[in-house]
Amino acid sequence: MNDTRQRIALLSKALDLLTDRPIKVMEVCGTHTVSIFRQGLRSLLPPSLKLVSGPGCPVCVTDQGEIDAAVSLAGINGVTVATYGDMLRVPGSGSSLMNERARGRDVRIVTSADQALEIARNEKTRLIVFVAVGFETTAPSTASVILDAHRDRISNFTVLDLHKAVPPALEALASDADIDLDALLLPGHVSVILGLSPYGFLPERYGIACAVAGFEAEEIMLGLVEVARQIKEGRPRVASLYGQAVRAEGNPFARSLVDRVFEPGDSSWRGLGEIPLSGYALREEYSSMDALKRLDISIRRTPPPDGCSCGEVLRGVMTPRECPLFGNLCNPSHPVGPCMVSGEGSCAAHFRFSAGGDDPWKR
Amino acid sequence: METLSIGHGAGGRLTEELVSLILGRFPGNPVADREDCAVLPGGIAVTIDGYTVTPLAFEGGDIGSLCICGSANDLSVRGAKPLYIALGVIVEEGFPFEDLARFMTSAGEVCRALGIELVTGDTKVVPRGQADGLFLTTCAIGKTGAHPGLGTRNISPGDVILLTSPPGMHGATIAASRYGLKVNGLSSDCAALWPMLETLLPLEGLKCMRDCTRGGLGTVLCEWAESAKVGIEIDETLIPWDEASISVCDLLGLDPLHMAGEGCAAVVVSPEEAEAALELAKNHPLGKRASIIGSVTEEHPGYVGIHTASGGTRLVDKPVGEELPRIC
Ligand code: SF4
Repeated sequence: MNDTRQRIALLSKALDLLTDRPIKVMEVCGTHTVSIFRQGLRSLLPPSLKLVSGPGCPVCVTDQGEIDAAVSLAGINGVTVATYGDMLRVPGSGSSLMNERARGRDVRIVTSADQALEIARNEKTRLIVFVAVGFETTAPSTASVILDAHRDRISNFTVLDLHKAVPPALEALASDADIDLDALLLPGHVSVILGLSPYGFLPERYGIACAVAGFEAEEIMLGLVEVARQIKEGRPRVASLYGQAVRAEGNPFARSLVDRVFEPGDSSWRGLGEIPLSGYALREEYSSMDALKRLDISIRRTPPPDGCSCGEVLRGVMTPRECPLFGNLCNPSHPVGPCMVSGEGSCAAHFRFSAGGDDPWKR
Repeated sequence: METLSIGHGAGGRLTEELVSLILGRFPGNPVADREDCAVLPGGIAVTIDGYTVTPLAFEGGDIGSLCICGSANDLSVRGAKPLYIALGVIVEEGFPFEDLARFMTSAGEVCRALGIELVTGDTKVVPRGQADGLFLTTCAIGKTGAHPGLGTRNISPGDVILLTSPPGMHGATIAASRYGLKVNGLSSDCAALWPMLETLLPLEGLKCMRDCTRGGLGTVLCEWAESAKVGIEIDETLIPWDEASISVCDLLGLDPLHMAGEGCAAVVVSPEEAEAALELAKNHPLGKRASIIGSVTEEHPGYVGIHTASGGTRLVDKPVGEELPRIC
């Protein structure tokens, strides 16, 4: 047996000893979800520990109406839509960016906001719409290219700004009695930017145990041991296991970039609905780069597909397997909801990697 | 109207749908045998494959070497020695002569090394914009020898799975160049497998071989488990990973088990001859990192499980469509 396996086996034993009552832990971030599944960690958890996936997959929480807006933008002559790869397959109410690309619309995959700006610099005759999604981790890079584009007067660069903020969504979840969370596993990289203080209300007001953890198997197991211990001792707090990278005050430089370009605004989350001040709205100064204003497209509310339970899954009140569409009508080749589309979606992870703790061999 | 998407060509579940749509319209029952190549009466093995790759030249190879290695490998994994090749060239108006010559030189070099003869071909020049530079199609013809019956149907519980080299190197190399990543030591594994696989053929316990191209090692194993109705268990720590490819996959959020290789074969062999097969593979430069990565089980028919480096267990699935890089 190798060292990692041995250390993780020990952590698994510790976890078993610490959980003497059923506890419900939410891993907030999609990167955690994938790592947990890919490493098969669910097969190492005690049965009394229930792990649910939260709203931290940026693709999954992008609202259907927001996708529709991106699709409409892609349909305008002369427009090039640039976005992150896993946005392509997310279904809107009628189409997806992938479909639009197959129909000959100019939709391109970029791996950074910089690349989108590069396209604008190189192809002056196209109007570039960068579909900016993600949380605290990607907002600073979007902010930085907006500042660059502004400075260099790149007039053919615009942004469909769909950025969202994690803490307000956590507040919505924590205050929802249906969900009844004991603990949260918080993403290390978001905390590097935000610091720890924005999470303080979780243990203080809602008694929720919190651990900020990295994405390696061992770090995740350590995070789970930490929250289990907090629960057992009856002393919830926000503990960082992400080491030096997380400072209490976060990364002031990244935050100031974001502050210069964005201000808090309301945002619609798939499954969670409209959450006040949970978005990053473009400041007036940069409104010429707002793709919606520039091309006169609005984000409209549309009902979710029939039978789709993504909302319940994203709030952790339903497991993917409990959705009546799971596996039959909704599967990775024919996804109904975004949770089955994104590589980080919990339905896709359940489908691809296992049934969960009890029997990893069942789909 | 439903239209084809790029995912239909990625070798996973969507590709299966596309293939069924085509095969279902032909007489006979071409669906029954989905091996890498067809073996006709008299032991004649035939395969055909189209090659499109962006970029046309990459670290470790180019579309020329790829189009010969790829088709030759499809024959080799069924124990057939590649002998002849037919080549179709579709090239776009405006394509530089010099580039075409360069790619044909590398194709010719692979043929020379393997003793493959080019016997017929076709060229088409299409107007600008109708082809992405250069499309090549090769049909390879060969002859089976010592082991004419290699194939999925031989796989049975207890058998051992051997992997001849790190998985996913070609796919990772292409993904890195497409998304503008520079990673030291990254290179495609594009190579003709015949010289190595030929040495395994005398083994009586040799059951089945497959090159892990489109859809990667994960797809090969899933297809085996499904069609042979067996379970397969592999151990992540036994897979001979390529560091550079892994870092590309980590950065882009891609699954290395779904990344294509172009010189990497998975081999099923009886437990009695597993060590012998390993040694034979290791004796050849292409197989110096060969490793036994798992085994075939009676339990969990149709499923592939991986015991992870953390000691957990999870399923391995086929990719669904084009593997797309993720957000953060
Ligand atoms: S199975 Fe499909 S429809 Fe059901 S919650 Fe998951 S993604 Fe939504």
